[in-house]
Amino acid sequence: MRFRLFFFFALLALLAPAQPADEFKFPLKSNSVRFAAIGDMGTGQTRQYEVAQRMVGARQRFPFDFVIMLGDNIYGGSSPRDFEKKFEIPYKPLLDAGVKFYAALGNHDNPNERFYKPFNINGAAYYTFKKGNVRFFVLDSNYMDPKQFAWLETQLQNTGSGDWKICYFHHSLYSSGRKHGAATDLRLQLEPLFVKYSVNVVFSGHEHVYERAQPQKGIYYFTEGASGQLRRGNLKATDSTGKGFDADRTFMLVEIVGDEMYFETISRTGETVDSGVIQRQLRSSATKSLLPAPNNAVWTPASDRQGLRPDGSARPPAWPSGSSDTKIFIGLPSA
Amino acid sequence: MQALLLVALLAPGWALAQTAVSDKEAREDAAGFKEFSDHVKEYVRLHKSAEATIPPLKPTDRPEMITAYQQALVRKIREARPRAKRGDIFTHKAREAFRHVIRSEFLGPQAAHARATIQQGAPLEKVHLQVNQTYPESAPHTTVPPTLLLQLPKLPNEVAYRIVDRDLVLLDVKANLAVDLIPKGIP
Repeated sequence: MRFRLFFFFALLALLAPAQPADEFKFPLKSNSVRFAAIGDMGTGQTRQYEVAQRMVGARQRFPFDFVIMLGDNIYGGSSPRDFEKKFEIPYKPLLDAGVKFYAALGNHDNPNERFYKPFNINGAAYYTFKKGNVRFFVLDSNYMDPKQFAWLETQLQNTGSGDWKICYFHHSLYSSGRKHGAATDLRLQLEPLFVKYSVNVVFSGHEHVYERAQPQKGIYYFTEGASGQLRRGNLKATDSTGKGFDADRTFMLVEIVGDEMYFETISRTGETVDSGVIQRQLRSSATKSLLPAPNNAVWTPASDRQGLRPDGSARPPAWPSGSSDTKIFIGLPSA
Repeated sequence: MQALLLVALLAPGWALAQTAVSDKEAREDAAGFKEFSDHVKEYVRLHKSAEATIPPLKPTDRPEMITAYQQALVRKIREARPRAKRGDIFTHKAREAFRHVIRSEFLGPQAAHARATIQQGAPLEKVHLQVNQTYPESAPHTTVPPTLLLQLPKLPNEVAYRIVDRDLVLLDVKANLAVDLIPKGIP
């Protein structure tokens, strides 16, 4: 078994195209918070393994400490073999290196996955954890009952204003995917809380694509639902679309240094499909902050692997105008 | 003119009658929900006694322990309520109350959002659970619209509402077992 595993990874390494020169540079500060984000990955199929292998490679230049899992961690059953094939084997090099995984539950997950220790859920369907100056709130969006809302509100209230507030859960509140689209009922309930308590960033999965929505009421929304599954060509640009990629599987790398969040989205083949730096919103009034247009926010359709429209132009901005105390630099950081 | 006069004379009476009907309906719904909540409490007591007879489930890195626990709990609960049938918890009164609330949610201003939410989660179609039957292992879970959950009686941690096709199911969360259901509870 071990030999076969070694052989599989060695073969993948040989077959993988040479790593392109990485243009995006993370600061890699010693006290920063570094993590990867994956969603809808638990298929146990070759593509999931290839993304996992790419993550292992990426960790050599970007040593992340933990991975956030955006749900649909184990598709199609929850037998010991499922856990092995869809989690333990693909991420073995990361697990062996001490990387921790923090899972949210998706609609394809058995709710009892919360008792599986390596997912760090510790028996509750929703939970919170802190790393450095970042507080993570992990929600169960399959079942947002009043109890969970009350819990979330208390947790948000109790989080210091000096900390980043990052929420993640399975269903996207903003999505340009054709298959599912945005979870609007959930948005009606969650967004006012996010705005009231100045949540900075939200990660979700469910839609099997990568998407960065344009900031909504000052909050950044990422969908990463293509770390195993893929719904090719499923994105359809809407007013809320910032950038999307639906041509291949992806995962995200994130580093938070002080008030800046650096992110890079990498495809299965090693291509950087999105990257940028977000400045933490410091909102005196939660609804005040609206963002100016980033200078190169682009729409990436499935047919366009280069990250621009066929004519090379950026998508016409639909960004709200007005002054802001929030900054975003999409593309290369200036420093 | 005569018709207008007639309407003016009858309208207050009709409005009073409507108020009386909605007051009566509200009282009946409250009684239905109370009956439901009492039966849920009874069920949770049974669940806890069943759970007390097996080793507790703690976070583990061995998935087989989770499976074994779930199977043992299912067996114990089935043994404890061998004659469980539809309507034991969603009694007639409770069903009526649930139908009123659900209908108002799915025909009200948030109806489009609620329906979209159900559609979001790859809803199970043509699957109908029976009481004491486990939720299909590999089937996805439909998101229960949060706005609906705000309207329904709150539940203890041991049980949750689930939507399976158009049925509203009361599910034992740890056992993944149907406790009771309202067939075609979702319009």
